[in-house]
Amino acid sequence: MATDPLLVCEHVTVTAGGRKLVDDVSLELPRGKLIALIGPNGAGKTTLLRAILGLVKYDGRVRINGRIGYVPQRLQYDRTLPMNVMEFMALTLQKRPVAFGVASRVKKRVLELLDAVGARKLARAHLGGLSGGELQRVMLASALQDQPELLLLDEPAAGVDIEGEATFNDLITQQVREHNATAVLVSHDLSVVSDLTDQVVCLNQSLKCVGDAKDLLTAERIAEVFGGHKAVYGHHHHH
Amino acid sequence: MFDVIANYFTNDWQLPILLSVVCVSIASGVLSPIVISSRMAFFSDAVAHSTLAGVALGLLLGLGNPVITMVLMGVMVALVIASLRQFTTLALDTLLGVAMAGSLAAGFLLYEYQKGYADLHSYLFGQPSLLGWSDFWMLLFNATISLLVIVLFSNRFLLLAVSRPLAQARRVSVARYEFLLIVLLGLVVSLSVRAVGLLMVNALLIVPAAASRNIARSVRGMFIGSMIVAIISGLTGLFAGDFLGLAPAPAIVVTAVLCFIVSQVLRPFIGHHVAEA
Repeated sequence: MATDPLLVCEHVTVTAGGRKLVDDVSLELPRGKLIALIGPNGAGKTTLLRAILGLVKYDGRVRINGRIGYVPQRLQYDRTLPMNVMEFMALTLQKRPVAFGVASRVKKRVLELLDAVGARKLARAHLGGLSGGELQRVMLASALQDQPELLLLDEPAAGVDIEGEATFNDLITQQVREHNATAVLVSHDLSVVSDLTDQVVCLNQSLKCVGDAKDLLTAERIAEVFGGHKAVYGHHHHH
Repeated sequence: MFDVIANYFTNDWQLPILLSVVCVSIASGVLSPIVISSRMAFFSDAVAHSTLAGVALGLLLGLGNPVITMVLMGVMVALVIASLRQFTTLALDTLLGVAMAGSLAAGFLLYEYQKGYADLHSYLFGQPSLLGWSDFWMLLFNATISLLVIVLFSNRFLLLAVSRPLAQARRVSVARYEFLLIVLLGLVVSLSVRAVGLLMVNALLIVPAAASRNIARSVRGMFIGSMIVAIISGLTGLFAGDFLGLAPAPAIVVTAVLCFIVSQVLRPFIGHHVAEA
């Protein structure tokens, strides 16, 4: 079982309004890897994630041999809602209405989850008052609640300052290494690709490249995927 | 004033009025946070206005008590609005404006044709003094259903209120819960109209949570505050209205709005502070 691929996509195509948002993507993701899914804006990255999550209709097949956790792209939410982080996390952890209070067993679990992302002190914080980086940590903690084997993170760096981004990436790497989970970090730029990335998947409607991070990140390949917008890869280009 | 209050406990015909108002307050107090958080305020208003057509329809069919046609009309208009949303590119407030104006105007014409202006006032502003035991049982049912739905589904409603995409990713069926909320609001609003009037009922679904949101720091606080405001306004409005010889339903709403004003004044001192996003 452990050698089975964690995720298999076979000829996944998502069509909307006669346009192919994701075109015939076949992909296998192994366990215990840090994977970067990159492609320009409008390349269908979020749509592919939504297909994997079963939130959009698609042709083809998706097989997942494990639990999924999902951290959505720059969450737009009602910041005026009087809700603290503890209550937010409890919404999906207990049957009892959060309006009646958070069960002590759930409180303990939430603190464990927040601990895992270094955000224990946020438990009593107002959800609407979180900074971009804090929100990402809370969302990660929330995504970790079912001990996911596949962690999908859509533009995790958006709205996070550089320093926050570094620690956030460390947190994800830690999850991958400690729990043999696979994390897919999605981005329209190369910020998600780090020294720690095992595999890179380039998408622009169809799959442009899949492979080992070190071999694939050549300027030509990136230019091909991004349609010549070399600026995103500029600093490597000048060397 | 004490005599006025005591009478509600000693007079057989006044006890169901008191209990009915308590039931309406419980239903609105418990649903108000969900209505506000789900941005359904305008929606429930449209449903409330449509109940006049239900009354007129009931009269046309010769029903003595048009409550069945009111509920049917309220739930039907709620469902029509909900399904129209899928087939139009218009904004929801535009759609609700059309539905509200249309159903109120049609309802009024139908009503006027049969009864002129007789009793119209009591449908618009409510007439708690006419409530009997049968009304109480219906409103008790109303309060029980509302409490039950909150106990069973409020976590899902709140997750949806925080973020739809997040709720979807957590396998919460957005369509199913929206449908449930819509039907529930259609039911609660229509059943409450006889007690508090179609122009006033929506205030009871909005103001309690609006007041408590001003000062609450948590979901729990928001629900408790909303319940307290709803019950205090219900009882104060009923007793004060009786004592001063004023219409009870508007007195209830005015009391609730006074609570809101107090919460607004207190907000800078005890409310949470929303960070600039």
